[in-house]
Parts: sequence; C-alpha cells; structure tokens
Amino acid sequence: MLVNFLKMSLLNTFWTTLYIWLRPLVKWILRRTTRLCELQRICYGEEKGALRTLQIEYSLSNTRTPELKKAVHVLNNKAKDKTITQDIVYYAVFAIVRIKNINIKIHKRFPEMLGGCIMRIWGYRQMLSRLEDLRTTAYDSNNSEHEEKLLKLWSCLQPKITLEGRISKQWQEIGFQGNDPATDFRGMGMLGLENLLYFAETHPNAAQHVLLRSQHPVYGYSFAIVGINISHTAYMLAQEGLAKTHFYNSSKGFPDQNAFHQFFCYLFFEFDVLWRHEKPKDIMEFNHVKSKFEKNIRAKLKDPMALFKCHFVLENI
Amino acid sequence: MGLLSLLRKFKTAPDCELRILLLGLDNAGKTTLLKQLASEDITHITPTQGFNIKSVQSEGFKLNVWDIGGQRKIRPYWRNYFENTDVLLYVIDSGDRKRFEETGQELGEILSEEKLAGVPVLIFANKQDLFNAASASEIAEGLQLHTIRDRTWQIQACSATSGEGVKDGLDWVCKNIKRKS
Repeated sequence: MLVNFLKMSLLNTFWTTLYIWLRPLVKWILRRTTRLCELQRICYGEEKGALRTLQIEYSLSNTRTPELKKAVHVLNNKAKDKTITQDIVYYAVFAIVRIKNINIKIHKRFPEMLGGCIMRIWGYRQMLSRLEDLRTTAYDSNNSEHEEKLLKLWSCLQPKITLEGRISKQWQEIGFQGNDPATDFRGMGMLGLENLLYFAETHPNAAQHVLLRSQHPVYGYSFAIVGINISHTAYMLAQEGLAKTHFYNSSKGFPDQNAFHQFFCYLFFEFDVLWRHEKPKDIMEFNHVKSKFEKNIRAKLKDPMALFKCHFVLENI
Repeated sequence: MGLLSLLRKFKTAPDCELRILLLGLDNAGKTTLLKQLASEDITHITPTQGFNIKSVQSEGFKLNVWDIGGQRKIRPYWRNYFENTDVLLYVIDSGDRKRFEETGQELGEILSEEKLAGVPVLIFANKQDLFNAASASEIAEGLQLHTIRDRTWQIQACSATSGEGVKDGLDWVCKNIKRKS
C-alpha cells in the first residue's frame, strides 16, 4: 500500500512539475493562436464568481513578467496594511492593461471583469488581515467598548430578561461557562464576540431560535461556547483559503467583515440543524458531531459554485 | 540510539500505552497544556465543549491524553472517563485565587473516587507567567496536599503558554509509571 501511495504521489509530482515547466510554452502557443493573453482568456471563458476569480488569482500569483510580479507584490502589501481601495483596484487594472498591451477600445468589458476579480482576491486578503486584528484583540473588561458589546449581546439574545449584574450566573443561560464571559473568548478574542453579536443583531429570530434549541433538556448545548468554537471553524476555513469559493461567489465588491459574520451565521445555524439531526447522547459527543459538520462544509466549499445563503428556515424547537 | 535501548523499547512495547486524564476547572489551561504536550499551535484555543484527545510520545511511552471540559455543566461527565486511568493530571489556574476553594473541592471529590484509587496525581500550578500567580508551595499549602497519603503525588509549577515546567511534569509522569511496573 505504501509503495502504491509513493508511486501515486511521485506520479502526481511528475505531472505537476511537467505542467509548471510547460506552462509558459502552452501560454505562448495559446497567445499566438487566440491573440488573447491568459487573463483575457480566463475572463471571457469562465463564468464570473469563484470560477473566474480563482483562475485569475492563480495566473497572477504565478506570473513571470517582472512588472506584473511587482504589481502583485504591491497589492499584497496593501491588503496586509488594509489600505486597498477602489482607486487602487483601478490603478492595478490600468497597470495590467498597459503591461499586457491590451487595446481597451476593442476589449471594452475586460477592465471591469478584471477589476471585479482583483477586488475579490485582494479584498478577501484584506478581510483576513482585519479578522486577524480582531482575533488577536483579547477581550478586556477594562475596555468600555468591549463591555458594551458584551451587554448588547445579552439584550439582543434575551430582550425580555434583564441581566441582573455584569458578573452573574445568568450568563450561563446563553451558554457561557461561568459568571463572567470575559475568559471564554480565549484564542478567538473579539472576533468570537463580534460574530455572536452580529448573529444576534442581524438575524434576531434565527439567533433566538438557535438559543432556544440549545436549551433543550436532552439535546442542549452551550450556545455561546459552541458559537466561539464555530467562529474558530469559520476562521480556519477562511485562513486556509477553502472558503474562497463562497466569498468569491457571494461578494459583489470587496468581501468585508460583515461577509465573514454572515458566513459564521450560516455555519452556526447549520451546525444546530446537524446537531439535532444526529440526536447526540450528550454534550460529550460535541467533537464527533463537529468534525462531521466540518467534513460536510469542506465538501460543499470544494464546489466552485459554493454559495451559502442566510435564508434561515426555523423548524420546531 | 544504542542497541540496548532499542531492545528495551521492543521489550516494553506491548504495555507502554498509558491513559492520562487531564482535569481542572474551566479556563485552567487544560487544552493549552494538551496542545503544548503535543507540540501543537496554542494560539487558537477555544473553550472545550465535550473533550479532546491526543496521543503523545514520550520516553518510549505512548501517552493517550484525555482533556475533558471543565465547565460546571460538564463536570458530572468526568466520572465516565475515570476507568483504567494510569495518571491523573489536575490543572489549576494559579492566578484565579477567587476559585481556589472551588478547585480544591473538585480535586478532593476526584481523589475520593473509587475508580481513581491509588492513581498517581500530578497537580500543575499553571499560569506562573501571570504577575499575580500563587506559587506552587502556596497552592500546595492552601489545598492541603500533604494530607494525600493514598497515592504518589506531585505539584509542578508551569506555564502552558510558554511551555515552562511542562516537560518536568511529563518526566515525573514517566518516572512514576516506570516505578510502578
């Protein structure tokens, strides 16, 4: 078996190496015969969304043209610094059109198509670096902004019940571990809180519905803690790049923080559906159900047409 | 590796798998400790719902470490994991003085469990990197660890985030198992 595996992986490496080696030649032939550069062939040949954007991303990341390499490098840095704007996208398109010597009087639609792809690709990277800032900001009880957000989470989830104190056993009703949620955000930091708050604020019916289901006497779980674990899943999928299909298909402009929050809401709601469907014996089955959930989501995201919509259908509690 | 140690490894191969139980209050640092033991990234920890398990190789032992959530709601499930435990690791947040009493009570209850009778216990006085952390001896005194007479025990100061003291704790575990067998 091991030998077979080695053979397979060697074979794979062989084809990949051959492809990388021959790519410039193939591109050259195609360019001569179609009189279009690779970027144009992708834009005209692929449907907009993830299919087109992923290929443009691959093409730009593996470019050998020094000027293009430089442009990509600039865009990467801008995304890291979170300074990508519409103007920078226009500028990048203009530069690429010049470098590739494309006549935009003939190819009128090309700049817009390429601009859309650049917005998605580097908007996504910018989103990742914004998420990283949020995640590495630890929840701080001395920060009034953080405190306000935490209290708001309560009022959005339990509009009819007053919280009796900042330190209270009541937090356990919405699924925190003890009397003070501050220590529960851990490695997800403010990202965990903002995800939950967005869910509770933007989809109050769905969030309260999931909260009620989490309080089920047999199939219950800790709403907030599970939410923070789902934040982690969402974050990992985004970091790994697997979630690109969804974000490239769903974003009209720059994917932003709200796009990520929406992604989280979808995942949390879907997790709740699966949890109930699995009829777990008790909470100790959490990791088992969660890995099954992750497997399902990963499979869905591998489809280039993946698009998660937050159209929540509320079933029985 | 010398031939002798290699042979010794083979000889002990069948019974070198150990079941280690990792318990403690929520936010004590159990999962961070587990990941530190397994040399994994510790920057993305989330509160444990249910449990985590990892296998760690150390000095020829295969340690199967069970990390069970510490939330009050989950504590009743701890007993489901007691059976066949070789070593108990109990983690304490040395900076959380308000809950020393609570953690002492939980530890007392665990040690009086029949299924865990005689099982060696290592207490990790975790989060020594915090400025307000109680020292290991302070904790040992507060929890009256000297009254434990029915098993071998040890308290180890550590910081699961920096890894300091974790290896020493692991060495103690391996040594005490060797003595047993």
